[in-house]
Amino acid sequence: MLTGLPELLEATQTTAVASILAIALALVIGLATAAARQSQWLILRKIAGFYVSVIRGTPLYIQILGIYFLLPSLGIDIPRFATGVIALGLNSGSYISEMIGGAVTSISKGQTEAARALAMPMSTIQRRIILPQALRLMLPPLTLEFTALVKNSAFLSIIGVVELTRTAQQIISVSFQPTQTWIAVAIIYFVLCFVLGLVARYLERSFSVQAAR
Amino acid sequence: MEAYFDLSVLTYGAPIFFKGALATITFCVVATLFGFPLGTLIALCRFSKLRILRGFALAFVEPFRNTPFLVQAFLIYFGLAQLGIRMSPVVAGAIILTIYSSALFAEAIRGGILSVPRGQMESARAVGMPYATAMRRIVFPQMLGYMAPASTNVIITLIKDSAALAVITVPELAMAAQTVMGDTFRPVEAYLIAAVVYWLITTGTGAGISYVANRMDTLRKIRLSQSSTGRVGQ
Repeated sequence: MLTGLPELLEATQTTAVASILAIALALVIGLATAAARQSQWLILRKIAGFYVSVIRGTPLYIQILGIYFLLPSLGIDIPRFATGVIALGLNSGSYISEMIGGAVTSISKGQTEAARALAMPMSTIQRRIILPQALRLMLPPLTLEFTALVKNSAFLSIIGVVELTRTAQQIISVSFQPTQTWIAVAIIYFVLCFVLGLVARYLERSFSVQAAR
Repeated sequence: MEAYFDLSVLTYGAPIFFKGALATITFCVVATLFGFPLGTLIALCRFSKLRILRGFALAFVEPFRNTPFLVQAFLIYFGLAQLGIRMSPVVAGAIILTIYSSALFAEAIRGGILSVPRGQMESARAVGMPYATAMRRIVFPQMLGYMAPASTNVIITLIKDSAALAVITVPELAMAAQTVMGDTFRPVEAYLIAAVVYWLITTGTGAGISYVANRMDTLRKIRLSQSSTGRVGQ
């Protein structure tokens, strides 16, 4: 019988909490970045583009370690868990900003034009016409991004956040049962991600049915 | 630690980073060269008439898609060691990345095959072409065109995720950063340089693949317009 199963299940909560906090942060960052990329100021567009390019072009492993070592050297001293959530949120935010950008551009131009014709100010159009429609388009890919985030949260173990993967390492160092423990961990991640994947597929189907009507 | 960039880390670490970058590229090339054909086989299993083959393909792909690569690396490396199969980190890293890449490619190829219009396969079968020939000569060449963006994604994912192999001490770029950090006690510089090198590799790869894909597309169009009697090329 596997030792440490209760600990693994408890650590799953940490993984879940970290993922939920990170996706919330990522949504904020993603929305801000997507807005910045459509800004009229060149400098904002450049900064946002650079951020997305760097995050998408480098491994999360390097990002997490980089942020982990960078923050104290800047005089910022926060718990590892917070560092991990920030790194995950920054990472995921760049992917979400691309999703938002894609969804917003796929909303037909007639929508904006019609709203403009009714003398609606541009900011209201964004908030009340474009975003609600874009959000519906984005929900399935966003769920998949959340799946990716749950998987990526395993990287928090390398900076010492005691989540699922780290707990497994601790258990193995006592029990010497790497195969059983890693299989159990893989099953837990699988269940989390597979269920989220099913949710994404369900959302996609129900939205495409709505759109067809 | 002071908040300034210590340039000596760059001069000291340059050869280590260079070796690490070469190793990362080599690992990804190996994983792509072996992973693509394996992924093709698995993708073909997904379309098989035999239920057992379809089941096998699903059972292979889904675990890799739904668990962290980090956990996969730990499980394969330490799991096999517990079973008495001990491998050097280099061999283990290459094998782990190849299996992972075959699962990623299988999904990309499945998507590619699905995006080839059904009529292509149906008409090939209608003129009496065997299924395998139709797959090889009709569906597959067209699929390659459709899946260029997806393959680029897979390869860039491989480059980035291969950094996780550092946790099982595979000597690649992320490991090089760790070595330089240990030697110089300058972690921020070490990981910043590694990030820049990774960024160069991934953007270079992305640009390279899209250049080649565009070239191939243009060449094919030229060839089509030359060889046709005026109907295909239009």
